Order: sequence, then C-alpha cells, then structure tokens
Amino acid sequence: MRWQRLGAVTIIAALAAIALFAGAPYLLPHNTVAAQAPPVPQLSVYSPQTFYTVPLLTVSGQPYVGLVELLEPLGTVDARPDGKKYKLKFTPPGTREMEFQFQDGKENGKVKGDKIKLPSNFVIQAGRGYVPLVSVNELLARALSTQIRLSPTARRLFIGNIGERLTLDLRKGAPSKLFVSFDSPVNPTIATEPGHIRFTFKREPVIATVDRESYTDPLITGASFSEHDGMAELDVTGTSPLMANFADGGKTIVITGAPPPPPQTAVMQTPLPQANVPQPTALPPKAPAGPRFLVLIDPAHGGTEIGSAISPTLPEKDVVLALARKVQHELQSRGIAAGMVRNSDIAITLDQRAISANAARPAIYLALHAANSGKGVHVFTPLVDPANVSSRDFLPWDTAQAAYLELSNAIAGSVSAELETRKLPNASLAAPLRPMNNVAAPAIAVEIASPSGNAEDIAGPAYMDQVAQAIAAGIAAMRGKIPEVRP
Amino acid sequence: MSRPILLMFGVLLLIAAGLGFYAYHLRAKVAAEERRLTQQSQVVVPPASGPTSLVTLYVAWDQEGGLRRSSVNVALPQERSERARAVLRALLGAYLQPGSQHPIGAGSDVRDVFLMGSDTAVIDTNAAFADSHPSGVLAEELTIASIVASLNAGDPQITRVKILVDGKERDTLAGHADLRRFYRANGIGQILKDAQ
Repeated sequence: MRWQRLGAVTIIAALAAIALFAGAPYLLPHNTVAAQAPPVPQLSVYSPQTFYTVPLLTVSGQPYVGLVELLEPLGTVDARPDGKKYKLKFTPPGTREMEFQFQDGKENGKVKGDKIKLPSNFVIQAGRGYVPLVSVNELLARALSTQIRLSPTARRLFIGNIGERLTLDLRKGAPSKLFVSFDSPVNPTIATEPGHIRFTFKREPVIATVDRESYTDPLITGASFSEHDGMAELDVTGTSPLMANFADGGKTIVITGAPPPPPQTAVMQTPLPQANVPQPTALPPKAPAGPRFLVLIDPAHGGTEIGSAISPTLPEKDVVLALARKVQHELQSRGIAAGMVRNSDIAITLDQRAISANAARPAIYLALHAANSGKGVHVFTPLVDPANVSSRDFLPWDTAQAAYLELSNAIAGSVSAELETRKLPNASLAAPLRPMNNVAAPAIAVEIASPSGNAEDIAGPAYMDQVAQAIAAGIAAMRGKIPEVRP
Repeated sequence: MSRPILLMFGVLLLIAAGLGFYAYHLRAKVAAEERRLTQQSQVVVPPASGPTSLVTLYVAWDQEGGLRRSSVNVALPQERSERARAVLRALLGAYLQPGSQHPIGAGSDVRDVFLMGSDTAVIDTNAAFADSHPSGVLAEELTIASIVASLNAGDPQITRVKILVDGKERDTLAGHADLRRFYRANGIGQILKDAQ
C-alpha cells in the first residue's frame, strides 16, 4: 500500500513537471527568448546576379540550409511539402522547370529526375525542407549546370565563375606602400589598431591566391588573408600605425604609414576619445610648406552608422561616398587638391570629423549628405551667430565656424549658382548641422535628394556627375577669393 | 494497476490538460496586453479639454523644403508650460496624421515643457520622437524649426528653445541636426525666410 502511494506521488510529480515544461515556453515573454538566442549563422552566397545570405539550421550538430531560401534569389521556386515527402519546383531565368524530390529522414532524393544521395538525412521542419550544407555544392552544380565553389567552414558559396581576386604589390620606398588591387571597386569595412589594419569584405566575393605574405620592410611586415563567418578578411601588419587610401575608382587600396600628428591648431578642443585615430608616430623633421588650397570632403556617416535609408538596399553612407569620390575627381581635374575625411566604409564620430578637418587646415570643408525625402540639392551653411573675431584668435569649439561664416555663405552662393546653371533643382539655407560649427574653416554641406521624387533615382550616374561637377565648379569659382592656408 | 491508481492517472491527466490550456490562455492574454501597450504608446494623448483657441502652427513640408503657416483650434490650459505643450502636441499630431507632408515616427510625443525664466523653453520629447525620426539634414531641421517657430508664435516671450530626448541631452536628432544647442527664435526666422 505504501509503495502504491509512493508510486502515485511520483506520477503526480512527473505529470506536474511535464505540464510545467510544456507551459513554460508560453509563459515566457517573447523578447526574453529572443534576447537569449545566439546569433543565427549565415551562409554568404555570391552569384553573378546578386549577393545574399541564407540562415543556417543546426541539426544533430551539422549545418543545414533551407532549399527555398537558397534557391529563391536564383529563380522561381514552388515548394510543396506533403507529409514526409517534399517536392520543389525550381525555374532559373531562361531555363526549363526542374524538380527536387526528397523525403524527411532519408538520404536519397532526386534532382531533375536523377538520383542523388545526401551525406546525411533530408530534414523537414515547420514545413520547410533542409539539406546538409556540404551537399549544396553538388545540388547546385546539377541544378544550374555551372561551377560551384563552397567553403563550408568559412560559410561562403560562389556560384559560377565569380571571384574578386586580390593581388598584393609592395613598393618599397620612404615610406613603403602596399598596393592591394581588385578587378572591380570594393567597399570593405576597415578597422585599425596599433600595427594592424584589417579590411573585412562581406558583400564582395573577394578571394586570394595566397593566404600569407611576409615582407622584409621597415614599415609593412606582412599580410594575411582569411575567410570566416561568411566574410573575407585581409590583415596587414606593420611596425607603426597604418592607413589606407582608395585609388583607381575604388579598385586599388594603397596602404602606407599613418601621417604624424598635425601641428597644434588654434581651435580650443576639449579632450575627446580617439578610438579610431591611429597612434601618432615620431615626428620627422619637415621642410616648411607653402600655402595651398585644399578642399576637404567629408562623406557623412559610415560603418555601422548608415545615415538615412535611401531605399531598403541603398544606405546614405554609400551614396555620399560615391558622390565624394566624384567631387574629388572633378576638383582634381580642375587643379584643386582634394582630400577625404573617409574613403571607405568606416565609422567616424562627429567630433573626430571636426578634429580631422581642423588638423588638415583646409581652405574649404565640404560635408556631403543624401536624403530619402524632398527633391533636388540643398546647400547648407552653418547656423551660427556671426562673431566679430579673427580666425587667428583662439576659437571656442562650439562656435569655431563663426569667424568663417561670411566665406561659407559666399561658397554656398557660388555652388548654388552652378547648380542653377545646370538646371538642377536646388535651395540654399542655414542648418544646425554637426560638426560644421566646430570647423575652423569656410564650410558648407550639400545634401542631395532624388531629382524626380523617386528616391532610387538619387544614385543615377548622370545626376551624380552633374551634382559633382556643379559643386566642383562652384568651389573653383571661389578659389581666388578664399585665402590659401599654410599646412 | 489498481482502480484507484487509474483514477488518479485520469485526474492528473485532466490537471495536466487544464494547466496546458491555462498556459495557452495566458499566452494569448500577454500578447493582447502587449498589443494594447504598443497601441497606447503610439497614440498622442489629446490636449486638455476646455474651451479651444486658435493657435498658429508652422508646419513643415518636405517636398517644398520649408514651413507653411496654418491655424488650428486647440484646447489650451491656463498654465504657460502646459499651453506650450498643448501647442507642440497639436504640431506633432499634424505630423502623425496619415498623408502628412512631413511624417515623423509613430508614438512621437512631448513628455514635458519646462520654462526657465521668461524666455527659455526646454522641451522633453519621448524616445520615439528621436529614435524613429526620419534621418536627413533638411527633414530634421524642418522639425526643429517648426517646433521653435510654433512655440514662439504661441508665446512670443519664448525666444530660446532646447530639446531633450527622454530627459537627456542628445548629440543629434537623427544623425544630423544638433540637439546640444539652444535654438533662438530669431535664428529660426532666418531659416523660415530662406525656406519660403
């Protein structure tokens, strides 16, 4: 009898535990579950038409990929799970429909009527069919009849004869320069730390012929290439801080030593974090330089700070970088020196932008922005009260621009006139835009919006060229009226 | 197995099913409550009741890149800072309407307006106002300009305005317009003139 009671109590406890376990997921707030979930690993897929990522599912410790998610960007997909059976019809553009047949828990299936054996069982979860990641190579090769290269550990998949091969060329000198060349323009994320500069390529199908290069050079000591987490990474090492510049329309990255710290400027600055600024090297003796007319272009945003979303796939940071490169080219073709605050997809704080601008001592500071609303081009001057101070005085950080306001307004007028000449819709007004008020130089900002009202038209090459030419012509017209600055 | 044990099994199975049903019911209730809270946070509470007065608002128009003057009837409280808040809520309410010419993020609201001395207003907006504000130099500038101009039109003594977000100072509204500074009504007048 006593044993019977104990048995009953045990059963009660077991049932209560089952009920609680069954109910627990429903009782937990949804965001708690989401916050604790680890990031889902992704497969990066590079095809001649597009780049996309596909989430991976882990089944019995193995990565699996959803057939629909994998094939949908490559053609028309019609998937029909039927109990344990799974049929998927796939039609790539310009070809005939083909069928994939699999069964939940079975290795054998059919692609285009031919038998195929997966390395492990096909899985159906929530009505979706999943195949082992390592089988993708063979599946796609049969379906698309093209070359497929899969790197399961790096989670990168290349469809067709695609691959952006990078080549390294170290040119020794004082200082030495490492030229990293590609077949087409690239836009990596750049991170620097003492002795290292790292380029991360997510969207570009960058591949390398060698994994590691060592150099016997006093500045650049080596470069290593790796693929991981759906990305490619180039890590260049040096004996002192390194910096990168883009050349050849973004097809070449030139890596060399970071410049020494600039001479003290007359702008009063409060101490600011210097996370992204390379550590200064020892100051070499420098010959005194003569005055020069430098335009410093500041493409807004960058890195994780994307600015406004011009369209779901076009962030402001990319539009302004493309425009900045065009403006730089136009200025240089008019014989005007033009530098860039950023020439890659890198995040820089507003204060760091102002510090860079003041350190460069430009004749003109030009900030570039893009908007997904409004129409045409807006030319902004700083919204600051004019101050009766000389630019040679110490200037307060928050109103450093005040001493240059008159010149800033004149430049904005000149650029607006050039926009008008080209019949581009434009308006000019003052704006409380950071960091213009902290810049101790004549400064304007240009924000481009779509010429037509359709946001995606903003990136049209003809429109961008016209805007870049107008800005450059407006600045060139002011050249004789703005004092050159001794660096 | 004896009959009592079988009976106990049956009862426990019923309890387990009941618990499962209760958990399911609770989940639906939590989801409904979340929906209710979200909807509540997206609604701008109407201004105080009472007799209405005609107030001037300067409303931003994105396509024109400027502000348009308009008049609306708003119930205005007696207290000065509450009146300022009512004017701003009417302005944000206009931006939150479907088909607005200057849409801002759902749930944008003014938490409080503090008057410092006779000429300075500190506006405390909620997080949704800045977090979901469209990003862009002109879009952000027009929002600020319309706030300052409308406040000044409703209470000409207010000539300086500072905007806080959730009680704190912020660098920019949505990546562009400076929120660290005080805005002067006469400085905004410069924008109004230029934008017209």
